[in-house]
Amino acid sequence: MMMGAALSRWTMAYFAVALACLLGAQAMMVMGLGYPATAVEDPQTLILVHTVTIGWLSLLMCGALFQFVPVLVAQPLIGAGMVLPALVSLLAGLVSLLAGFLQLSGDLETGLPFLPVAGILLPLGFGLAVVVLGRTLLRGRPLPLPARFVAAGLVCLVATAAIGVLFALLLSGLDVLGAEVDWVGEVLPLHVTAGFGGWLTMTAIGVSYRLLPMFMLSPDKERITGKAVLWSSCSALALVLVVVPLERALGGPGIAWHAACLAMLVAVVFYGVDLVFFYRHRKRRNIELNSRSAIGAFAALYLSVALLVGLVATGTLGQNSAALIYLVAFGWLSGLGLSQLYKIVPFLTWLECYGPVMGRKPTPRVQDLVVEKRDMPWFALYFAGVLAGTIALLAGMPDLFRLAALATLCATVALVVEMVLVRRLFNVSVASRLPEGTSRPRLFLSSAR
Amino acid sequence: MADNEEAEPLAADIIEALRVVIDPELGENVVDLGLIYDVSIAQGGVAQIEMTTTTKGCPATAYLKEAVESAAWSVAGVHFAEVKLTYEPAWMPEMMNDSARQRLGLA
Repeated sequence: MMMGAALSRWTMAYFAVALACLLGAQAMMVMGLGYPATAVEDPQTLILVHTVTIGWLSLLMCGALFQFVPVLVAQPLIGAGMVLPALVSLLAGLVSLLAGFLQLSGDLETGLPFLPVAGILLPLGFGLAVVVLGRTLLRGRPLPLPARFVAAGLVCLVATAAIGVLFALLLSGLDVLGAEVDWVGEVLPLHVTAGFGGWLTMTAIGVSYRLLPMFMLSPDKERITGKAVLWSSCSALALVLVVVPLERALGGPGIAWHAACLAMLVAVVFYGVDLVFFYRHRKRRNIELNSRSAIGAFAALYLSVALLVGLVATGTLGQNSAALIYLVAFGWLSGLGLSQLYKIVPFLTWLECYGPVMGRKPTPRVQDLVVEKRDMPWFALYFAGVLAGTIALLAGMPDLFRLAALATLCATVALVVEMVLVRRLFNVSVASRLPEGTSRPRLFLSSAR
Repeated sequence: MADNEEAEPLAADIIEALRVVIDPELGENVVDLGLIYDVSIAQGGVAQIEMTTTTKGCPATAYLKEAVESAAWSVAGVHFAEVKLTYEPAWMPEMMNDSARQRLGLA
């Protein structure tokens, strides 16, 4: 019986589009488009934010999950035929959404209803992804711990997309909930929490629980601390997304919000305990660059939590939320994403090219596809740029922010070039590059078996 | 079971041949990693190999199984190779031999 699956055919295409969106978003920040040059609710900022959250982070996560959910539950992907339609819907939906924002700012003058179209295509694309991943997870029950985090993340993705549709309808002039709803003050935080805290962070944590022990050969037995992270983070999300709005609507005493903060802190503390455990108890002393650079992402996660606590304590969360979101999106989520892409792209490329001749011909190692020494400074530059950018946002220094964004852009360009070189087998010696029976992988499309 | 005098050198040849199969994640061959649990020779030069992978559900599983099959089949005297995947017991880093441990810098 074949356990799990071989290669996810479209994952590399998801990654390619995602990286293009990341580069585009960073270029926008360098050029001074969107916040902090314009207001948070300005259409330019909305373009920037959704290029990052949908174009980069969500496509990256979907592409990765199509490959890794089968690994997590040792089941083949169910409905793999829907993976490409999901990508097309998401991409078309994102383009419509950005075009809709351009209409709002007056930069695009056509009568086409871009925002309502985005309100159909994006939920359709995410819906297809959720159906494929959800059915695969259902088949893999009882779910191991990392898969439960992914399941929770998918529930939050549905919530995020549903709120997003309400916003798309509102911005199209269709106020479905009535005028008494405080969209920016009440509904927007739910959209942001469900997206960053739920969909992206829960899935990232879930994947980390599997990848870290796998890459570093750490003990991977499910520990009570991991379960504590799952249950406390799920409680925090349920409180923020369901109980807090209900309590506000019914005029309660505001206990739910405090309980949610406490649950989140418990989750963060126990996740930290597990991260330290994985790194400390690793069997593999000389870990690879992806596991080393991931430490930058984890540091960004903990800095974000410290910043959140500090901003709440000083009552300045409202005016500094952009700095916090920047650190979460670019330090924690993008940092972890780039780190793991640095491993996943060579791994998938190796399997695609050398897997079919393995055992018949001598093959290079996955490590031979990259030159870690050359790439380490780029990760350092990336995280330094994110830190400087966060400080610039907190200090209200837009020019410094653009400079810091330029540093992250340069680092990302370098890492993307490295990934293209990996796909081209550039770092493998010519003599062992293409043994008989192999062919050079295409840049975006895996030749699935 | 084939005659022991013939089977033992053949099994040793097969194990040697399996060193060409590299686990893509760790970059070491499947023999040194301890992924080959058993190699036995049945009547008629049938090689029976029991193996595992470092991670259950790994996307490389099918490739690894096929690679072990081809590598075993390439050994002179092997007429057929049967590869069985097992996760009992699950692989542990302690199953590596010294040379793999050294190359991976194992604690």
